[in-house]
Amino acid sequence: MKKAIRVDKADNVAVVAQDTKKGDAVDCFGFEAVAGADIPLGHKIALGPVEKGALVFKFGVPIGRASAPIRTGDHVHVHNLEDITEELCNGYEKKFREMGA
Amino acid sequence: MREILAYERPDGRIGLRNRVVVISMVSCSNTVVSRIAQATGAIPITHEYGCVEFDEDHKRTKLALVAAGAGPNVYGALLVGLGCEQTSMADVKRAVAGTGKPVEALLIQEEGGSPEAERRGIEIVRKLQAEADAQERVPCSAAGLVVGIQCGGSDWTTAVAGNTAIGAMSDRVIENGGSVLMSEVMGFPGSEHIVAANSVNRKVGLQVLDMVADLRAEYVELYGQTIEEVNPTPGNKAGGITTLVEKSMGNIRKMGNSPVQGVLRLGEPIPHPGLWVVDNRAQGPDPFNVTGFAIQGANVTVFSSGRGSPVGCAVMPVIKITGNPATFRKLESITDFNAGVVVEGKSIPETGADLYELLLEVAGGRATKSELNGNVEYAIPREPARKKHRDCCADGGV
Repeated sequence: MKKAIRVDKADNVAVVAQDTKKGDAVDCFGFEAVAGADIPLGHKIALGPVEKGALVFKFGVPIGRASAPIRTGDHVHVHNLEDITEELCNGYEKKFREMGA
Repeated sequence: MREILAYERPDGRIGLRNRVVVISMVSCSNTVVSRIAQATGAIPITHEYGCVEFDEDHKRTKLALVAAGAGPNVYGALLVGLGCEQTSMADVKRAVAGTGKPVEALLIQEEGGSPEAERRGIEIVRKLQAEADAQERVPCSAAGLVVGIQCGGSDWTTAVAGNTAIGAMSDRVIENGGSVLMSEVMGFPGSEHIVAANSVNRKVGLQVLDMVADLRAEYVELYGQTIEEVNPTPGNKAGGITTLVEKSMGNIRKMGNSPVQGVLRLGEPIPHPGLWVVDNRAQGPDPFNVTGFAIQGANVTVFSSGRGSPVGCAVMPVIKITGNPATFRKLESITDFNAGVVVEGKSIPETGADLYELLLEVAGGRATKSELNGNVEYAIPREPARKKHRDCCADGGV
């Protein structure tokens, strides 16, 4: 059984702890998924389905937005996860600064 | 409240070690310092600065030299200068003595040369060491711990295992009334919104956002590119990091879940216990950042490295951990703690609790690998030259 590490309960992705082949069973602290693609060591595996446009969570926070539908067990990387750092940072900062004291 | 056996200092802080240090005032006196240290086993603090420095740099040099003598793990200090350098040894001596510690000083030009300065220096150090040996550890509250947290030499395990274990340990330090210092602020952009949201109040949240806004503007001014344009790097992406928030959070996780109490300039005294951000923008090798924590008054640092690192510090124990089990097996002679158990299935909170227990053991006197290996780095952090002066450090009382 291959292993994956989920950092926070809110996360919908985990990091695989070894090179993983399509079809491999992956254990993530008791939760099991089947790899939908080859996933290299240190890359992310989806722990549940994510709709296109929904947020992907790691470390308990949104790290980006799904740019394509993601199925459980999929490899999650640049091909299906959009970097929205500026939107997340700027959006928060604007709201925070506008908020009264 | 947890207790440790430590040294009580006259100013109320606690020392986890009782070191006698020999501090060079200028690079010209480095060799005499090294030879006094070799003859006595005292800790040498040498560097390449102390003369012909512009104000902003010289202020940092003095701050760092005072901190080297005034640090909580130091019993007493011998200062060694040449005699004509820019550093005012009298000012450094006064500031160190202000903490209530014994401090002696000598100048090579006044002693009649290097062999003469060495002879007298060795006598002084032996006297200080005899006094230090007579002092005993007493029960102290773990609330006196001031813990620097850092990572360097990262690999894929650092964010998910090494740094998350440090985060869980940091929460324990705070729960027990202690302080945690986070720096590496060049790694904040991308998760400043998370740090601001974890701040104790709106004022502190704004401090965090202002610091990162300033950093972002500085990047564009110095390099003509935004942080997003160069991050994540192709190497990050090959390793599995997709977005800048993700990259940045790997660093931020060391802070755990405790509220941020404020942003401090380098050398600014810590107002009260808790989690603090030190705005040290020095870009350079890892000892720059470790030394920054020493300047801030940390008495210990916990450092995670996926690939392994031998770095220590002249004035505090540095606990080295790795999130990579293979690195632990290969580099056990320089690594104190295997957080790689997370990669093998152990829970992060449990691993962080184990790390906190090791922290208490080291605080009570257990030698770290970097101490056993004689790693006594002290690298005065430098920031890039700026067109506009930035008041980036405190004056350290000199």
